[in-house]
This record gives sequence, C-alpha cells and structure tokens, in this order.
Amino acid sequence: MKINLKIWRQSGPDAPGRLVDYSIDGIDQSQSFLEMLDTLNEKIIKDGGEPVAFESDCREGICGNCGLVINGVAHGEKGACTTCEVRMRSFQDGDTVTIEPFRAKAFPIIKDLVINRSAFDRIMAKGGYVAVNTGSAQDANLLPVHKDAAEAAMDSAACIGCGACVAACPNASASLFVGAKISQYTWLPQGQVERSTRALGMVKQMDAEGFGDCSNHAECEAACPKEISIANISRMRREYTKALFAEQGS
Amino acid sequence: MSDAKILDAKIPEGPVQDKWTSHKFNMKLVNPANKRKHTVIVVGTGLAGASAAASLGELGYNVLNFCIQDSPRRAHSVAAQGGINAAKNYQNDGDSVYRLFYDTVKGGDFRAREANVHRLAEVSTSIIDQCAAQGVPFAREYGGTLANRSFGGAQVSRTFYARGQTGQQLLLGAYGALMRQVEAGSVKLFPRREMLDLVKVDDLARGIICRNLVSGELERYAADAVLLCTGGYSTVFYLSTNAVNCNATAAWRCYKRGAYFANPCFTQIHPTCIPRMGETQSKLTLMSESLRNDGRVWVPLKKGDDRKPSDIPENERDYYLETKYPAFGNLVPRDIASRSAKEVCDEGRGVGPTGYAVYLDFGDAINRLGKEAIRQRYGNLFSMYHEITGDDPYETPMMIYPAPHYTMGGLWVDYNLMTTVDGLFALGEANFSDHGSNRLGASALMQGLSDGYFVIPYTLGNYIASTSMKAVDTDAPEFDQVEKEVQEYIDNLMSMDGDKTADEYHRQLGNIMIDKVGMSRDTEGLNWALEEIPKIREEFWKNLRIPGDAKDYNKELEKAGRVADFLELGELMARDALERNESCGGHFRVESQDEEGEAKRDDENYCHAAAWRYLGLGDTPELVKEPLHYENVIPSTRSYK
Amino acid sequence: MNISSLQPSSVLKKLLTGITGLSLVLFLIAHLAGNLTMFAGPEVFNAYARFLHHFMHGMFIRFAEFGLLAFFIVHIWSGISVQLSKRKARPSRYAYAGNAGGPSKKSLHSLNMAISGGIILLFVVVHLINFKYADHDAIGTMTLQDGTVAVNVYKLVVQTFQGSFLLVLFYMAAMAVLCSHLMHGIWSAFQSLGATRPSTIPFLHATGIAIAIALAVGFFLLPLMVYLMRGTFDADALPAAHAEHARNLLESVIRG
Repeated sequence: MKINLKIWRQSGPDAPGRLVDYSIDGIDQSQSFLEMLDTLNEKIIKDGGEPVAFESDCREGICGNCGLVINGVAHGEKGACTTCEVRMRSFQDGDTVTIEPFRAKAFPIIKDLVINRSAFDRIMAKGGYVAVNTGSAQDANLLPVHKDAAEAAMDSAACIGCGACVAACPNASASLFVGAKISQYTWLPQGQVERSTRALGMVKQMDAEGFGDCSNHAECEAACPKEISIANISRMRREYTKALFAEQGS
Repeated sequence: MSDAKILDAKIPEGPVQDKWTSHKFNMKLVNPANKRKHTVIVVGTGLAGASAAASLGELGYNVLNFCIQDSPRRAHSVAAQGGINAAKNYQNDGDSVYRLFYDTVKGGDFRAREANVHRLAEVSTSIIDQCAAQGVPFAREYGGTLANRSFGGAQVSRTFYARGQTGQQLLLGAYGALMRQVEAGSVKLFPRREMLDLVKVDDLARGIICRNLVSGELERYAADAVLLCTGGYSTVFYLSTNAVNCNATAAWRCYKRGAYFANPCFTQIHPTCIPRMGETQSKLTLMSESLRNDGRVWVPLKKGDDRKPSDIPENERDYYLETKYPAFGNLVPRDIASRSAKEVCDEGRGVGPTGYAVYLDFGDAINRLGKEAIRQRYGNLFSMYHEITGDDPYETPMMIYPAPHYTMGGLWVDYNLMTTVDGLFALGEANFSDHGSNRLGASALMQGLSDGYFVIPYTLGNYIASTSMKAVDTDAPEFDQVEKEVQEYIDNLMSMDGDKTADEYHRQLGNIMIDKVGMSRDTEGLNWALEEIPKIREEFWKNLRIPGDAKDYNKELEKAGRVADFLELGELMARDALERNESCGGHFRVESQDEEGEAKRDDENYCHAAAWRYLGLGDTPELVKEPLHYENVIPSTRSYK
Repeated sequence: MNISSLQPSSVLKKLLTGITGLSLVLFLIAHLAGNLTMFAGPEVFNAYARFLHHFMHGMFIRFAEFGLLAFFIVHIWSGISVQLSKRKARPSRYAYAGNAGGPSKKSLHSLNMAISGGIILLFVVVHLINFKYADHDAIGTMTLQDGTVAVNVYKLVVQTFQGSFLLVLFYMAAMAVLCSHLMHGIWSAFQSLGATRPSTIPFLHATGIAIAIALAVGFFLLPLMVYLMRGTFDADALPAAHAEHARNLLESVIRG
C-alpha cells in the first residue's frame, strides 16, 4: 500500500524545523511502523538524501527508546502500545500520516525525531530507588509483601520511561512518570524508610527540569503504552502532602 | 595453529564448593581511603554493567559508566521476560546450590568452566536478596513470600519472576542503584557514547576511545581498569530477538587489541519466537519460554496439512517433544526444542505462511485452568502476540519458530573475569564463561547480576591492589595513537560513497549466518560461509554508502561500524564452528550425531574452550585452548528422554 | 514540617487549586440554596438576606466575603501559574493535535479552564456590581411580618433581571461557562488533593459532571424565570402577599 508522510525534520537542537512531505509505496500490512520508516530511510539514502533520524532499540515495546507522535497522538492512536508496536495493518492505503517528535522543553530535540530525555534520569537520581548497598540485604523472604501489594507495585513499576506521558500532556507534565515511580515504593516495605525524601526530592527535580504542571487531563494514561493509571499521580500527591508534614525520620 | 599454547584460567585450588570462599579471602583488598583514587571504566549499563558500576561506586571507586542508549535504563537486559534462577530452595523441592551448579554444567553440555558455574550458583541466592531489598516487585504468594516457577529445562521451581518483565524490573533495580551513585558523585554517566577502541599503556588496559553519538566527536577516557559489559552478538544474524542497536563492536575492537575471543560459535537459538513475516522485518520477537510450561508444541502428522489448527483432530497431531522426550516433554532445553522445530519444518510439516513455524497450543491449559488463570500467567505475552500477528492465542494456537537469542561465546576471561589483556574485564553476556555451549532459561539475568554485584567488586580490587601501574592521563601518546587510528577508520567508512546501505550488507551477512552458522552446521556450509563472508566484507569496504556527516548524529555511521565488525566476527564464528567438529549444546554439527539424530559430543577432542587470538585482518587467527576439567559433574550424554 | 519545600511546587499548587476550588463549589451550593428562597417570595428571601448580614453582628458575612476573596485569589493565581507553566513547558507546539481517547479526560472543558475561569471572573465582577454594589438605599426597605426591617433585595433582583434581557442572557451564558469549568474542575479537585483511588476515579468524574450541571441549571433558572414570569415575580410584592405569591407560583408552574 501507499502511505503519505509528513515528517518533522530539524537538523539540530537550535535549527528551525518543519514538516516535510514524503510518499512511499509498496508498504506491506505485516510491517511495523518503524519498519516502514526503515524502508523510507533506505529509499532516501539511495536517492542521495539524509535519512530521517529516529530512535528505537528493542522493537518489542519494553526499552522505552522509541517514541513518535503519530497523527497528533504519542505512540499512535491505537493506544496501549509503543511506537515500535504500531503495525501498518492499522493504516489504510493512501493514508496521510503526520510524524512529530515528543515535544517538551525538558525533552530538547537532538535531530529530527530524536529527543533528549535525560531529565528522567536526573529525576530518578533524586530517589527513584531503595538505597541499599550491594551485599547488605537480608534474606528475601524476611520481607513478606502482600500479593496484592506486589501486584500493585508491579502495575506502577511497569513504566518504561518513554516519556509519552509528557508528550501527550497538554501541559507537558511528567507527573505520571514520577507518580508511577513514587507509587511503586509506597506499596513495598522496602520503600518506607525513604518515603518522604523520595516524594519531596523527585517532585522538586521534576519541577526543576521544566516540566509543566498537571491539570488532570488524563491524556497521559491514555497515551501510556503500559496503561499506567493516573491514580499514581493522585498517590504521588498524597505522598508529597504527607511528606510536607512529616517529621524527619518518620 | 599451535596447540602448544594453553590458557590459564587461574582457577583457585580446593574443592569446587570452597574455591570462591577461599579465593575471596586470598585476594588482596584496596584500602578504603585509596579506592576513590582509582578510576574504573564500565562500558554498558545492562544488568552486568549497571550492577558493576553501582557496586563499585558504593565501594568508593571513581566510576565512569558508558552506554550507547540515551539512558542506562534501556540496555537490552530490559527485554528479558521469563525470570531469574536462584538456588533458594524456597519450594522445598530438592533444589540446592549444588543442583543449580550441576544443572548448569549439564545444561551447558560440559563446555562450561566448573569453578565459574559453581560460583554463579553460590551467589545466585544473594542476587535475589539484593533485588528484593531494592524493591523489585517479584511475584508473591498469598502469604507474602516469593513465588517461583519451573523454567526451561529445570525440574525444580527456582525461577523468580516479575510478571513477564523480569529483566526490566531487575534492570530498573540496578539502574536505581546506579542513579543513586550518580547522585552521590561516585559514578559519572556518559550516555550516547559508543566505545570504539581500547587504549593500552604498558600492555595494561588503561582507557577507551568513544564516539559521542550526538556530536560525533571522539572522546578519550583514562582509567585503571576497563570493564566490558556490552552484551552479546546475536545481531550478527541480522534478525534476532536482540535490540536493533545490540552489537559486538566494543568486544570486537578489544579482540583486535589482544583479548581472545572464546567459543564464538556457541550461540543460542531460542525456541519460542514469533515466526518471520516479511522481507523488511527488522527483528524477531521472543515469546517467553515460560509459555512452554502450559503450552503444548505440535505440528500436523501429515506433510503439507494446511487445515486450520482447530480442524486437525487430536490423532492427526504430532506432539513431537512429548513423544520424543517423555521425561521433559515441552520443557526440554532450548537447543533441543529449537532443533526439533527445525527438523519437523525441514520435513515439510511446518505451519504458517512460510512453513517455518510450529504450533504452541494453550487449548488444554485453558480447559484445565480456565482462561482467567492463563491470562494471569501470560496475559501480556498473549496480547503482544495478538498485536503482532493479528491472531488471538486464546482462540487459536500460537505459531512459534526459533530465533537467535543469546550468545554463550564471548571474550575469554579467567576466573577473575579478566580477559587476556590485563586490566580489561568482561562481564555478563560479553564474556564466555558460565553457560558452556548452551544456556539454561533464566540464567542470563543471574549471570549478569552475579558478575556485576558479587564477583567483580572482589576480583577488580585484587587486580588493582596487586598491579603496579603508572599514572596515565588522556594526553598520553597511546591515546593519540589509538584515536588517530579510530579517526582513520571512520574516515574510511565515510569516504566510500558507494550505493549500498549498511543494513543491506547486514541482511546479506545475516542470511548466510542463519543458514550456514545457525541451528545446524556442516563442513560444506561452513566452508562456503568462510569464502562468502570475506567477499561481502570486501564489497562493503568499497561500496558502502553513509549519508551525512561523521561529526553529527549519524545513525548510518553507527550501523556501518557495527556491520563492519560483524563481517569479521561472522567469519570467526564460522571458523570456530568448523574447527569444533562435534555437536554440543547449541552447536550442532551435522557430521556429529548418533543414529537417532541426537547431538554427539566429542569429549576426547573438544573438551576445551576455543579461544581465538587476533593476528591481523585477513590472517587466520590463532586457536588457543583452555582445557576444561570436570571433577564434580562427570560428563555424560545429555539425555532428556 | 519541612518549610524549605514549601515553595509552591507543582504538586502544592494543584493542592491549593483543589482546596480553593472545592471550597468555592461548596459556596456555590450554599449560594444556590439561598437563591432558591426567591421562589418562596420576598418575605423569605429578604429575611434570608437580612439574616446573612446580621448573623454574628455582621461578622459572619465579613469573614465569609474575606475568605471567598482570598480563595478566589489563590485559585486564580494557581490557575494562571499552571497556564504559564504550560506555555513554558512546551514552547513549540504540535503541528497536528490529536486525542489518545480511552481513559483520557481531556476535553474542551479541561483544555479551556483558563478561558472559562476568566469568563467566570468577569461574571463575578458584573454580578457583584449588579447586587452587592447596587444602590441599596435607593431600593428601599421592607418590614417583615415579625416587624424587623430588611433591605428589599427581592425587589433589587426582580428589577435587575426584568430590566434587561441581555443581562439575563449574559447570566445564562456565564452559567454555561461555569458548568464547563466545573465539569472538569470538580473531579479534578479530588485528583489534585490526592483523594482519588483507581476505583473512584470514574465515579468522581461522573459525579463532578452531574454536580456541575445541577449547579448551572439551578443558577440559570432564577434569572430566566424572573424575566419570563413577570406576574409571579413582582418587584412591588408585599410581604403579606407571600402566601398568595407562593400559591400563584405553584399554579403557574403547573400550568406550564
């Protein structure tokens, strides 16, 4: 089938960008969306042009590296999947597809569709872990965790850090990402000791990175490939509020 | 080739159970106050890299940690689905450190080093404790204790898991530990850097040259030791379950700087992947092996039976694994499951559009346990399959076919994980040591974390404490020289202005590799591959096209460098496969099988690790052997019948 | 309490928006209940107004007004601040805007909270000019049945609405905008306060919309009916007539 594309091209972080039209024929239904772009790039290279820079790695929806805004929706309109999991089966012959990068001040564009998401790493550095040195752990079964709590923690921990929540949010807020990480540890006994410092630290860094405020549109949940609930944002706010009033060491 | 040279693995004396304990005591320690004076380069941020960098940072070393991804959290360990083994014996089903050791040596078909494997089994229990303490949300029983499942080839339940995302969760645990050290200032992170060469000073590994993948600039980093945690080389096959950016470049450039490459032909073809669909396919998707716990593998009895699976009655189905291997049935080790699938497909009984697929049927399990129970166990895998193929596995059997997945071969390391270049260590999948010729399911995560959390912190200290080295910085002439060579290499790649892309060469190589150096290998095919690969390589260096600029974000240049290395590595794999005229584990030589078509090992001639020493491009590398001694697990014919 | 973290973080801002917003909604509910006394005639309405102004020697209304003003200011400040952060956080906009659908609650209501909020602010100013800052001396007083003298705000309301259809329209339009604001605002406040659970989110979202509609309809009825039913709402109605008035009102409602 034939697909018309409007792809955001931008040669560098400060260069102006624009949508460029491409058209590609002979796309197969069984191809993935990124394989369609591979095919396009091969064609561009053969024609002497410079291929569209985009990122992907695992191509099975778990590494969180890929991320395009397809027709105005982060990871595409299908939902509950990453860009690499979008299949050409969901497009019709002759469709026009607009492809843009995830847009946010905190995710500066490196080139074309490639963005810098290291803001997420810096947020994680402020408490997205349980501080336990290698070797100082007790026997794992000495820390019983209710099955439901483990499941709930896993629901939050499923985040792949792709940044679709930020891309989809009308405010470019990172609340779902931060909320999910904070939530994971609220469910687990291991996470209790640093509960307050984690909530305060991660929220502070989130703000410092220049993400927008959350207005509860819940568009993030809808765009999240792992279907992480905005209940995590609610939980983050509870944690944060409690932390504001918490005494040191409690 | 000389057989006279023999590698010394520096295995400690004593009974296998005591080796690691006594070695830990005998190794020298670095004074706590001195650790921060020592810089350690860790390349890679997967399970091995992140756990090593974090643990070394905690100890006080000054760690520089590199990865090609935009964030350490994306390393390909993230994609491991099934689980991680540990000899906890929480299930009271007869597991022990010794049994895990035994199973791993046997599963590796007696081509792994006993001492390493025993150490792996010993520290496996600490890994689970460590990860649980980090808040990894492992599956739990109602009482709150950890849940286990039996996994690929094991008769005990020793696999810990976090839904189908165990690798992700373990990696996020290690990544968290890493980011904590970044925050503490003991680890400095360098994402989007690709290591392109190793710098040696006085024959010791003292630094690396990286390309900054954003600016394209070459960068130099000096250290007292270099740890390669760069994963495996399955992408040499082009289509594999590995991430598309996985590559062998760092390891390969180290090979060319004197690190021996061991057992390159030991690759694992994973039995449960979604079959190939089309020409432009960029990767194969793995379905966790845990599916084999409840799914039954079958093909039609008749050749060319193209009825819908639901229309094929029970008595016209061939549950070939259950019939051939009654004791293990659908849970036979990966190599056997893979090869059996290839056999039935080669017989013309394969299913699906290409005829290269077999059914994995959950019908019985759904009837027995109910749809909900199956959804609980495999929900995300089923929906993933549904997405990719358009078929609903709750209604119709899945189709699966083997795909390259893991490489047991890698840089040769001694017991201390040090390569033949002093000061250069290799951890995790990048080394060759623990899985022999076949890796058991749920053991890769175990090895990566074992090396990173619990082995290297000791052995690296010993190296640093016992090696005298001068102060080196990046202005040293050795850095000038290596950077110059790297620059020339890049200039050569950029200069060709040919008309084929790196991907095209990669696919060309991949086809040869999967066909001739894949699930089964023979002399003729291997010789043919040894002739063909250099031809492709030659053409590659004349006719490659890389658009854009080297001093810019340039994905094509990245790919080209990796493909260039694969074009050399592929040849070495074929050479190693040809040299090893026996069948063992994942390496099946058609010439070496018994009357029933089962793999025939040749312990008399091949009970060694084959390490290859680089002698220059185009020259046949030298084979150096490390003889393997089995003092505890006596080699026997693997039988899963 | 950790004072250093009291600089308004994004979470704290939303917390304040939520608290003030919900308080304002509670005020609206009380306000609506008060308004509905109009339907009981001038005696009840004026008595209610007098009670408000004399309760606790007039301190109550002062406190309430001061509180409302403060909440309003905080609500507006945090709202503007969210808007500004939004601009800053995404300097280059998408060329093509889409909706992810599914569990998303993004809507024209949620996207235009600043605009609806601004219109509501404008309305409040007009509303205060109309009633609070109207010339109460000119309106005159009314002696209630128990003999107390009350400002005849009933007359003020009736005169104001019967005097201008445009004003009635403006009130109705403003209530529609209020409805829009609250359709997102009410449930959102619970979410901002961290008072939601996975299971309660759909319920709160639906309830929020229902309350928004109920409030808007409640407010919107009064000006409309005052304007349309001139016979019933008589600016010069006497207190003694209140029983008859109520009967008339009932009959007119029954007649349609």
